[in-house]
Parts: sequence; C-alpha cells; structure tokens
Amino acid sequence: MKYVFLPLMLFASTWCAAQQSIGGKVTDDQGVPIPYVNVVWVGSEKGTVTDENGEYYIELDSATGNLEFSALGFRKQQVPILDSSRINVMMQEDAQTLDEVVLTALGLKRETKELGYVVQSLDTEGVTEVKSVNFLDNLAGKLAGVSISQGATGVGSSSKITIRGEASFSNNNPLFVVDGIPINNNSVFNFSNEAAAGFQEIDFGNGAMEVNPDDIANVSVLKGPNAAALYGTRASNGVIVIETKNGGEFQGLGISYNTSFFWDSAFRLPDFQNEYGQGNSGEFAFVDGLGGGTNDNITYSWGPRLDVGNLVPQFDSPVTLPDGSVVRGGDTALYSGLQIQPTPFTSNPDNLKDFYDSGTTFINNLAISSGFEKGNFRLSFTDLRSESIIPGVNLDRQTVSARLGFRPTEKLHINSSISYINSQSDNRPSNGYGSENVNYSLVAWGPRSLNIKNLRNYWQPGLEGTQQYSFNYTFFDNPYFILFENRNSFNRDRVFGNISATYDITDKLTATIRSGMDYSDETRQLRRAFSSNRFRNGGYAEHDVFFREINTDFLLNYSDIFDNLTVDVSIGGNRMDQKAFTGQSQTTSLAQPGIFRLSNAASPIEVFEFESNKRINSFYGIAKLGYKNFVFLDVTGRNDWSSALATPFSVDNTSFFYPSVSGSFVLSEVTDLPEVISFAKLRASWAQVGNDTNPYQTTGAFVAQTPFNGQPTFSNQNTIANPNLKPERTSSFEVGADIRFFRDRLNFDISYYNALTEDQIISLPIGISSGFTQQVVNGGKVRSKGLEIIAGIVPINTTDFRWNSTLNFSTNRATVEDLPQKEGRLTLAYSRIYDSQNQTVFLQVEEGGRIGDLYGTGYLKNENGDFVLTDEGRYIPDNNLQKLGNYNPDFMLGFNNQFNYKHWDLGFLFDWRQGGILVSRTRALGNVGGQLAETAFRPEEGIIAEGVLNTGTEDNPVYVPNTVAVTPESYYRQFYDRNHEENNTYGASFLKLRQFSVGYTFDELNLFNQDASLRLSVIGRNLFAFTENPHFDPEQLAVQGQGFIGGVEDMSYATTRSIGFKAGVNF
Amino acid sequence: MKRLLPLSGEGGIQRSDDDERGRTQASDQTLNHLLVRLLWAFPLPKSFVQFGRWLGLDPFRIAILQSRMQSTFPCQGKEQKSSNLIENLQHEKSSPNPSRGGGLYPNQNLIHTKNPNQNKRILPLLRRGPGRGLLAMASIFLVLSCTEDFKEINTNPNAPVSVQPSLLLRQVIYDYGEQMSYEGFTAGNLLGQYTTALDFNLFDRHNLKSPQLGGNPWPILYRNLRDNENILNQSLENETFAVYEGPVRILKAYMAATLTDLFGDVPYSDAFKGKELTVTPTYDSQEDIYLGEGGILDNLDKGISAIANYSGTIPLEGDILFEGNLENWVRFANSLKIKYLLRISDKVDVSADLQAIITEDAPYIFTNDFNAAFNFTDGEPNNFRLARLRIGDFNNFVLSETMFVILTDLNDPRISTLFRPFSNSNSGEFNGLLNGIDASQTSIALADFSLAGTIFRENTGRLDANFMTSWETLFLLAEAAQRGLISEDAEQLYNRAVAQAFRYWQVELPIEYITEDAAFENGNPLENIITQKWIANIINGYEGWVEYRRTGFPELKTISASLNNDLIPVRMPYPAEEEALNSVNYADAAAKTDGNSINVKVWWQAP
Repeated sequence: MKYVFLPLMLFASTWCAAQQSIGGKVTDDQGVPIPYVNVVWVGSEKGTVTDENGEYYIELDSATGNLEFSALGFRKQQVPILDSSRINVMMQEDAQTLDEVVLTALGLKRETKELGYVVQSLDTEGVTEVKSVNFLDNLAGKLAGVSISQGATGVGSSSKITIRGEASFSNNNPLFVVDGIPINNNSVFNFSNEAAAGFQEIDFGNGAMEVNPDDIANVSVLKGPNAAALYGTRASNGVIVIETKNGGEFQGLGISYNTSFFWDSAFRLPDFQNEYGQGNSGEFAFVDGLGGGTNDNITYSWGPRLDVGNLVPQFDSPVTLPDGSVVRGGDTALYSGLQIQPTPFTSNPDNLKDFYDSGTTFINNLAISSGFEKGNFRLSFTDLRSESIIPGVNLDRQTVSARLGFRPTEKLHINSSISYINSQSDNRPSNGYGSENVNYSLVAWGPRSLNIKNLRNYWQPGLEGTQQYSFNYTFFDNPYFILFENRNSFNRDRVFGNISATYDITDKLTATIRSGMDYSDETRQLRRAFSSNRFRNGGYAEHDVFFREINTDFLLNYSDIFDNLTVDVSIGGNRMDQKAFTGQSQTTSLAQPGIFRLSNAASPIEVFEFESNKRINSFYGIAKLGYKNFVFLDVTGRNDWSSALATPFSVDNTSFFYPSVSGSFVLSEVTDLPEVISFAKLRASWAQVGNDTNPYQTTGAFVAQTPFNGQPTFSNQNTIANPNLKPERTSSFEVGADIRFFRDRLNFDISYYNALTEDQIISLPIGISSGFTQQVVNGGKVRSKGLEIIAGIVPINTTDFRWNSTLNFSTNRATVEDLPQKEGRLTLAYSRIYDSQNQTVFLQVEEGGRIGDLYGTGYLKNENGDFVLTDEGRYIPDNNLQKLGNYNPDFMLGFNNQFNYKHWDLGFLFDWRQGGILVSRTRALGNVGGQLAETAFRPEEGIIAEGVLNTGTEDNPVYVPNTVAVTPESYYRQFYDRNHEENNTYGASFLKLRQFSVGYTFDELNLFNQDASLRLSVIGRNLFAFTENPHFDPEQLAVQGQGFIGGVEDMSYATTRSIGFKAGVNF
Repeated sequence: MKRLLPLSGEGGIQRSDDDERGRTQASDQTLNHLLVRLLWAFPLPKSFVQFGRWLGLDPFRIAILQSRMQSTFPCQGKEQKSSNLIENLQHEKSSPNPSRGGGLYPNQNLIHTKNPNQNKRILPLLRRGPGRGLLAMASIFLVLSCTEDFKEINTNPNAPVSVQPSLLLRQVIYDYGEQMSYEGFTAGNLLGQYTTALDFNLFDRHNLKSPQLGGNPWPILYRNLRDNENILNQSLENETFAVYEGPVRILKAYMAATLTDLFGDVPYSDAFKGKELTVTPTYDSQEDIYLGEGGILDNLDKGISAIANYSGTIPLEGDILFEGNLENWVRFANSLKIKYLLRISDKVDVSADLQAIITEDAPYIFTNDFNAAFNFTDGEPNNFRLARLRIGDFNNFVLSETMFVILTDLNDPRISTLFRPFSNSNSGEFNGLLNGIDASQTSIALADFSLAGTIFRENTGRLDANFMTSWETLFLLAEAAQRGLISEDAEQLYNRAVAQAFRYWQVELPIEYITEDAAFENGNPLENIITQKWIANIINGYEGWVEYRRTGFPELKTISASLNNDLIPVRMPYPAEEEALNSVNYADAAAKTDGNSINVKVWWQAP
C-alpha cells in the first residue's frame, strides 16, 4: 500500500489479491432475459451490464454488501451478496424507476437523472448491426445533432463529423475518446499544389474511421461544452466517448464470432445524354487525339449524332499497318499518316455503369473473453477486406484489441485496453478537379461516344510501361491507366490504448492514475507512370505521416453521503504531449520506367516537411451534489496551460481557466404529476470552454522554396504571426427536459442550447498588397443556437411482438455576430478549379450571415431577378461575388425502427436532411462538355435564353423578353460556365434509407456440446434516396487546401449502395 | 505482494533491470516481463521510451524523447536537458553496449537512466510511505502547471525565423523570372497578340478577370517585393549586408515599374508592410511611384550610388543574374533608367536625363553578355513551366494572326524558333489565328495552326528568363534618338539592336533582313523600332502589350469575339481579392478607374 503511486507495484500486487466473482441471469417475471440491466456493487463505482441473454458477470473485491440491479422500466432491486458465485434475479416491471447509466466525461458512469445536460448513447448493436468501413458512417442518423458527411473517393475515404453544427471559423472537429484516452481524428493529405501540374490531393481517410465497431460496448455523445468541459479545450466541439467491450460478461471462456459480407454497387451515377458524340460544332474525326484530326484535341460531346449510322474514325477503330497487322486508332506511337478505318458512331448509355465494378466488403470478427479469479480479459481480432466499386481501389484493415482487468487486491483495480490496427490500401484515388481524378476524363470530359471498355487494355502494344493508350492525349489520362498504374498506396500502423490503476485509499476516497497513447506511423507511395499527362517521365513521392499523443492523468475522488445529501468531489490533472510529423519526398521524373524509388529519380528530389509539437497541462476539479435524489448540482473548473500560446520568449498567455455549472431537477419525484406522465426531469447548465490553437502561430518564419541550380532559396511565410494570441472562448447555455409518458412507452428528451464563441483564433485573409495573405488574429463572435428532440416510442409491446422507434430531430443555426476585420466578408475556405480565382466557390461569412454560406459569381440580373442579356442573346457576366446559399441543413431527422417478433427482427433507419445547397462541378463541367442529360435538347433553330434585353437606357431601363436564339452548344456552354457557380447548384435536401436489416436468432443451440446462439441477418446500407439532383449522392465533401469543404461536389466518385449478409455466433 | 519490491527500488519499470534480473529470478520475472510489455504506456516517462523502442522507433528520436521526458518530469530538470540530450546521443553513437543483453533492445543502455540525480529526485518521494501519497499527487500537479518548456516546444523546428539575404535574393530573382516568364507565355502573349488561346480563353477574349492559366501577376509582384524589402531592410540595418542595398533597390524599382505599368495606381509606399501590421495599404499614384522619393527613378539612382559607395569586401551572394558582379548591376540600373524615362516621356520631359546617361558615359547593357537574365534548364525543377504542364495546356496556345503576319511580311527566320509549322502543312508552313475566338461558335482545327516552338517545351534549356537585355536597351535608345530625345544615330542603334535580338534568340541574322525586309527606313522607323522590340520581347512578361499601349506599335488587331466591346484593354484590372480585403482603399482606386475598368489609361499613356 505504501507504494501506491509506483506503477509497477500495482502490477506486482496482481499476484496476491483475493476476489469474488459473481455472475447470474436477470429475467422478468415471465422468465424472459432482460438485456442491459445495470448491475452495480452498492457503495462502489463498480458495475457491469447484462448481455443479450440477460447474463451478467462482475468481479468484486469481497463477497460482502449488495448488488443493485436497475433497468429502464423495471423496479430497482438490491440483492445481498451471499457466499455464492451465482445470483439470478427476477425484476418487476415499474415505469416509475428510471436509473439508466450513461458514460460521461472522464469515463464516469452516471445516472441520467443526475445530469444537467443531454448525453445520447448507442450500444453495441447500434453500431454493429450494419457495419460500415468508416466508423463515423455508423453514427449517421442515429444521434440528434450529429451530422456525418461521407467522402467522395470510395472505400477508405474520410467522413466528416460535426456536433451541433459549425460554430468555429477554423476548427469544428469533435474530440474522440476511447476508454478515457483521446485518439486523433486527423486527415492528413499529401503535399500538393493548386495548379494543373504535380500531384493532386488525395484523401487517405480520417483517424476515427479506424475505431472498430466490434470492440465497442457503448458510444456516448457529449454534445456541447456543457457536457464536455472536463475534457478540455478540444471538447468545445463535443466529444464522442467510446467504451470498448470488456471480458466481464462471461464466466468461463466466451467465444463470439461474426461475419458480415456486403455487395456494393454504385449508388447513383450521372444522368447522361446519349444522342450526341464527341466533337465540336457537329464534327469529329480521330487522327492523333492531339488536334491532328477534326476536333480530336477536345472531348466535348458537341459532335455528330449517335446511332444514326455514321461511320467515324475513332480511337478504337482499326488501323492496318503496312505489315498487315491491325492496331487501334489510339495506338498513335505505332503508326503515322495511315488511315483509320471509320467505325459506327454509337451511344454507350451504360459506359460509366460498366466502368464501376461490383464492390465487396468482408468483415470478420472473432473475440474471446473470460473472467478468472482476479480479473477478466477480452481479446478480439477483426479482419476487414474491402474492394471498392472503383476498379483497383481497396482497403484492408486488421484490428487486434485486448482489454484486461485485474483486481490484484481488494482495493486496487487495474484496467488496460489496447488496440493495434493495420490499414492498407493499394490505391486511394485522387480527389478534386484535375486529370488525376478519373471522373475528369469519365464524366466531365468523357465523350458520350466513348466505349470505356475499349480502354481496358491501356498500353500501346510494344510500349508497355512507357506509353499509355487513350481516347485523347491532350489533357486526359486513360482512367484504367490512372487506377492501375498511377496508384497512391498507404500502409498505416496504429496503436492506441491505455492503462489505469484505481486505488481505494479509504472506502470514500479513491485515487486513479491513467496513461494512454495514440500512436500512428504511415507510409504512402504515390506512383506515376511514364506518359502520364502531368508526369511525362513518370514520378514518385513518398509521404510519411507520424503522430503520437500521450495523455497522462490522475484523479482523486471523494464521495460521501450525509443524510439527504450526496457529495462527490474529484480533482485531477492531465498532461498531453502531442507530436506530429508529415514529410514528403518526391521526384517529378524517373530515370527508368516502372521503378518507383527515390533512387530512380531523374530530377532533384524535392522535400516537404512539417513537424509540430504541443503540450497541454491541465488541472481540474468537479463537485457533484445530490439532494434527496431529486435535485442534482455539478460544478466544474479547469485550468489549461497550452504550449501553442507560448512564444519563444514568453509564456505569458498560456494559461486559461474555464468553469461550468449544471443542475437537474426530477419533477416526478417531488410532485404528483398526472398519471400518464411516468417521469419528468428539468435540467439546465452553463459552461465555458477555452480553446488554444495549432503550434507555431506566434512567430513568423521563412520557408524553403524551389532551389535554383541546386542552390537554396527561401521566402517569408505568407502568414503574419501573432505573439499576443489569446485562447478562444465558447460560452454555452443549455436547458432541457426529459419527460416520459405511459409507463415510458413514449418519451421525449428536448434540449435547447445557445452558445457564443468569441475571440476565435483565425488566419484572417488579407490582401497580398500587404506582402502577406493571412494574419493570425483573435476575433469574431459566432452565436450557435439549436434545438434537439429525441423521441422514443414503443407503439407495440407484447411478449412476442415489440416495435420500438426513435426519432432524432435537430436544428442548428450558427450566426456570425461579429467579424475580426472592420468590414467585408471573411473567407474561411474555398474550393477552386486549379488556381483560378474566378472558378472558386468561397466559404465566406459576414456579420449577420451564417457559417456555411457559399459565395460565387453568376450572370447579370435586373431587380426582378431576370437575366439581362446582350443584343446577341447572351448572358453578361457579373463578377461580383453573391451568396449562393448555405450548405448546412435546416434540420435533420433520423427515424430508426426496430421490430421484434419472436425470433425475428427487422430494423430500418431513415435519414432526412432538409435544406442546404450544393455547388456541383459535375453539373458545371458535364454540361459545358455536353455530356449530361440537361444538354440533350439541341434544336437546330437554336435556343433562346430566358431573360430580357434592355431597350432603354442604363438609367431608365426598358426590359423586353429576349427573342434571339444562339446555338445550343453556345447556350449550354455559357449557361453552365464554370466561372459562374450560380447556375451550377442543387438543393442538398435528401431522404435516405440509410440502413436496413432483417434477422433471425436461433436460441439455445447446442454447438460442439456448448450452449450457443446464432443470428443470421440480411443487411443493407444506403439503399435509396430522394433528392433533387439526378447525378450523384447529395452527401458530399470536397477536398482543398488540406481540408474538407462542405457544400461542394468536386468531381466526386459514385458512393455505394450495400446489400449483404451477416452471421454471428456466440458460445 | 512484497516479492517484487526490489524492482521498484531500482526506479520503476526499467527494462534493463528486468532483463538483468531475469537471469537470476527467472520464475518471478516471467509474468513481470509480460507485464512490462503491457505497461508500455504507464505514466513513468521512461516507459514511453521503452514503448517507442518496442515499436522500433529510431534511437535518435528516442534519445530526444527521453531527454525531453527527463527534463520535464520535474520542472527543475530543465537545466540538465541539453546535457542529457548530448550525452544520450553520444552514448548512442559510441556504445552499442552488447554486454547488456541486446535482444529486443540492442541499445538498452539508452533506456537505463543516465542521470543518477534523476533517480534521487523521484525515488525518495515515492519511498516516504503512505502518508506521502498526497504529496506525490501534489508534486505531479506542480509539474503540470510548469510552463517553462513551452518556449522551446512552441519554437518552430521546421523553418528559420531569419535567413541570410543571399537566400532571399536568389529566391526573388528566380521566382520573379520564372513566374513572369510563365505569365508572359500564358497571358502576356495573348494581350500582346503573339499567340492566341483556342479554348478556355475568356482572358484572350479580353475578359481579363477570368484568366485560365496565368493572368494574375499581382500576387507574384507583391510577394517578391515583400521578400526584396526584407533584404533591403537587412542591408540598411546590418553593415555586413550593405552590399545588397544597391541590387535590391534596383530590383525594387524594376518590380514596382512592372506593377504600376500593368495596373496604374497601386499600393506602394504603404505596401508590403504587413509585418508592421499595415494590412490595408493605401494606393499611390503612378506619377508618385515613378517620380516620388522612394519611387522607381529614385531607387535606381540610390541603387547606383549605393554600389558606387560600397567599399566593403563581402561579396554579393545569391545573385543569379550577374554572379555578384556589381558593375553589371549598375549597367542593369542604367538600362532600366533609360526604359522608364522613355516610358514616361509623354508626360515628363526626360531628354536631359536621357542625354546625361549618354554624355556621362554611364554604363548600360550594350551586349548580350551583360543581359540581366538567367537560363532555364532542360530538366526539372528549373525548366520553363510550360515543359511541365500537360500537353493539352501547351497545345491550347497557337500562333496569333498578328504575329504571323508581322513575321511573314518581314521574312523573319525567327518564326522557326518561336513557332512550329502547323501539322496539316506538307511544306513546313506556318499559320496564325486571329485572337479571341468563341470556341462554342467556331470549330477550330488545331492541326491548321502553328504551335509555339520547342524552345518553350522540349528544349527550355535554350530559353532565358529575361529581366533586361542589350537589345531592349538599344531599341530604347534608338527610339530616343529617333524622337530627338538624345543626339545619337538611331539607325545604327537599331541595327545593333536587331542583330543582338537575333543572337538572343539564337537565330542567324540574314543580311537582307537589315538591309531590306526590316530596314530602318523601310516604312516608319519608329514603328520598326518598336515592332522589332516587340518581336524579341515574346514571353517577357507583358512587355509587348505595355509598349503597344505607350506607342501604338505594332498595330494590334481587333479580336474575333471580344468581351470588351472590341476595345483592346489598356490596363489590367485590380484582382477581386483586393476588392474584398482592402476594400476602402480599393474603392478609392476603383473610383479613379471608372470602376476598375480595363479601358482607362494609366498616367503615362498619352491622353
């Protein structure tokens, strides 16, 4: 005992502790097992939960005292622990009791009625029934106020999560905590540039995608600063608290195995026109794909009609060489000046559909768990193998996790959990607008006469490895060549986990120390073959990404009961050390084709590196008071010291303090409410959270640039640093009510919050005429208000049949009340085509505006909103930025249903997002190129643009309707022109069938002489959607400038519809 | 429980202890060994080191990590940190220490505590018995609130806070030359009607706010003016760097002139002072920028005298134009002076100043050997940027009708260097296309028009980034002489200039070119001078177009589908970001240019 703070001692003592383990089954009065009953050893924090079969298992320090059993809808029961290892309990139904336990900050389990803020949870089934490859996608639609947007590059893409909308100008990422220790949810992109040369940006996934659903016991969402004050600065955007499964659920060896298999298909593909083929002004003939023929340097579909018997020389038409052998028209390196034999000019309505493969995803999980005399363990292995619908794109992930609990002595509890994850992919496809994204040559610039199948053989004969074969050689690469030769692979090792020790100094005072780490090391290889358009002699880049965060904390807890008053006080401290490194070495030309090594470089190797280090020290305290079990009050305070606010000369601004207070009042405990109300609780809370910034914002630096003749060059960084940075602050007020009717058959949880984020730390864009493009400042105020309603309904509840449904409704408005600069709008981000200022969607905010407002340009309109046209019937560009709309939804509604009939179950989840807009690059480019269905209407007499002509003067305008026709090509190319985004937006509203499952459970099986259960189900994800746009999934994320941009569809790949099977067996 | 106590006496989870004792206490240690592995993350700092090693981190990282850990566990360890680090690293290098068991951790000695005081500091605290547990807690708290290390942690390890002026000078010259040559090809050549763009050509159709490639010189100029100002400040503040003053003043004059010639009134005296927190600079009039103190002509004079007065021995480094030859900088300055005096000659009587340069025999660039230029290379990364872009980007630019007519009328052989025969031609002919087509109305066969020459893509090692040349200087002097601003022989200057321009483009000058086709007196001599200069100035930024605006030569054509009412623009528009981010000052400047119109002349243009 005297070495209590010496960690090794904790372990040494594992040898000699005496313990009692108790298990049993909890049933209702019909003998039906009750899952998820909370089992708590009275007077301790020790507890467990029953499994699906009503079984529980708990380890106690001694065989004394009582076990308390509680579950929603049942009367709480205490059972004395006698000298028995098995206690079976029958619980009585009771609508009056409501003591379910949720996980809150610091992993503290608390009864919901005590909480002055809302915490919403998902259990194992909630995240594992229909698993998705990216963990975040498992949460979509299931939690009020939580918004998930999936990435656009197939399996392995990042998903973006926000909780209660976006209120910060710079960082809206929630914190992820696994078993009490933060893990990163970073997305680190390769180094790239905006120009049409070099490597494009690639999405290698987000950190939290690797959380393994099969290892999760519970996910709790702490939605705002009120719930999360104690996690510190990073919690201001909410916290996803994940608790992994432990081994305590089974006595003896428990084995569970489950397998899921999905078939993936393209969820939605662009709606193409199939009447006109490649060319311009109705003419086309292929010669060399470089402009040597008729319009063969461009790939617009403004060419001749398809399917009318035209014979046209094409890239896949035959050419007979002098030796009699036949090659393809596109094999331009093999012949010169020979005639290409024309072939029929036909439509290919399914060419893109045929391009996409049928994807598969296998997820297998095997877990063994056991309790033994002084502890328990769980070991789990998960294997995920996914082949994307995008040819050659895949993701493999293996997860090994272990959780260990020791009770070496009566008073010492040691817990450890660790996960090792290896993820790898042979190819992550490039993002955004440009020739490395296959959608560039398949959708925007893929002519409708193109038979994609004929591109599969992508080398010119005899020139394998050096010269690709394609339908065009100006701007485009053969899409198969891109996907199979120009691969962006990665291999990532990651370990996260922690170990903690809790010691009961007295029965009222406990001390806990805990330390954990999130460590990952990733190697990426970007290969570019010879004859790539951006890399004529190939290219290669190696990108290393390293991340390590160590958190160490201690916590002292004192709890006591005085008559009617319960007191629980904790003080704790935390140190976080974070180190991140990203380094890319590249060559933009290779000596020998096919060898992807830096030693094969034919040009000087360029190196980009960035290392960052950060430490935050914290000290905090919590006091929880409860009076007569109906009034509860929490007070918290935390002080952080962040290294990111230090300068090399001063640490003056590094310390900041933030408090919170919350309370709850259980109305139904003190007054007689009408019979129909079974429970009513009111709650309120106020909290503040400070927020620091990224390292190195306080001092300027010089940055290495392209060397000249091997000699170094340096340029000043473009950002003006700020040595006087203060922390940001968010103050939040939240009120809510939890009201339940009809013995809890109907319940509502309503929250309203109002938060103000001030003194935001942002890189304020400034005019380059100052010599700089950004200035780091504190400033701005954003007010974020919202309403969340969680409704639970149990319309039917009989012995055999139960229908359970949950509605999650949320709405959020983040309004800008003040900006850091004097006037004008603040640019938070943008999505740009190459480096063209005019082809840019800006995310800007102005006072009174909302975060998520998108700005772009359009064509001149009069005060009636009619387009004002020129005398030739053409639109007039209006280069002033105008608000296009906001990408955030007006509201989100998730509707989850679960039906159980005897051994059958059926579940489905609808996800409705209403409002918001989306700027579409596919719409802009695909229509300018004449590829999409919108451009199928091409009358010979031309098209008269809708609009007016001004026949008066500028001051006294007289508007008359336009009567001048222009050619269809000219009309569409102008209307959808990419320099003007206004005509290229869609509403982003959608209603999706997000998830579906039908299952059957075989109980009480006897397999290998063991009791076992087996469950089989048919599952599906993203089955259908109603939405305005006919071309793509309205859930979109674009990538630009090392970040994600909402509200922009930037040449996205098709998302997937998944249908599959799942089987799970438990021994 | 007590059995393992001796271990703790050694300072907690020490892998080395574990291994050493493992030989004698094997049975007890087996599980312990396992535990240590599991204990990778336990809050004693050294276990992190162990864990890192377990994961195969390289020893260097670990040494640093370890030294950080040691130094930061108790705050007062600070003063020992550097020595720890060095000691660890030295140890790492010199002693693999094979006697310590090797195995999983070949450099075990690293983990072993190197600093005996370290143990003394921690262990007594832990040994004092149960009553001191809280004290230990409190001491952890004290550690937590310790911020002294923050200064070091938040010092950027990636980039220096200050650099030698030579590194900046090389950057300014290279970046300006590289970027403005690219601008020249992709945008300047369109405005100057050397080439035309087939598609994605709103800029070529004179919607100058919608460039596709290039066409946005504003940030290039300001960024380089900023870095240049940095050198200037260093040279004025630090005697050691005094040699840089002259060259950077000359560069400042040069870049400021490029800027104001394109845009007119621009932020200048207030500009690139963001570090002093002037982030919304006011605009200066072009007249002030040319003539005012600290302006173009002033900086040229000051630059020349700074070089003349420089008596130090420290050489100029980073000078990729002249390899540190200061005399060549003076030539460069005088050539620029001639250029800028002539540029404002419609507004200001510059003849005395020009004549003075001649009379005083001031050195200027009179042969290609003294050109202010640097070579592109054939290979990356210093090749011309068009060599790196996709072929489609390059093929989008073809010979302009304007250039085609001028070169063919003159029988100018340079056409074969600057352009290629069109691919449908059977006999090596060239063909040009009128600028500014509407690609949606007209179907253009690329094969019927000439692409730019191989010097701009395949053989960019032959190409220069051009700041100032002998031929440009001589053409300027020829013009001055022709206009009677100086008393020199205009024809002789012209002939020398033409000869050097041919040499610059590596084309042999046919004798009849000077005697017949492009003879000085064949037509309007002034037009001949400017036209010859215009030809040679291809890809030299926007120079051809700027001089057209001043002189009206060569006569540019009305483009086919103008988006500017068939007017040839006479200035570049301020960029949109200036409107958004420097709005008050922009509004002022916009008011003076009819709402940022591209048809409002700048000050030096004849009314």
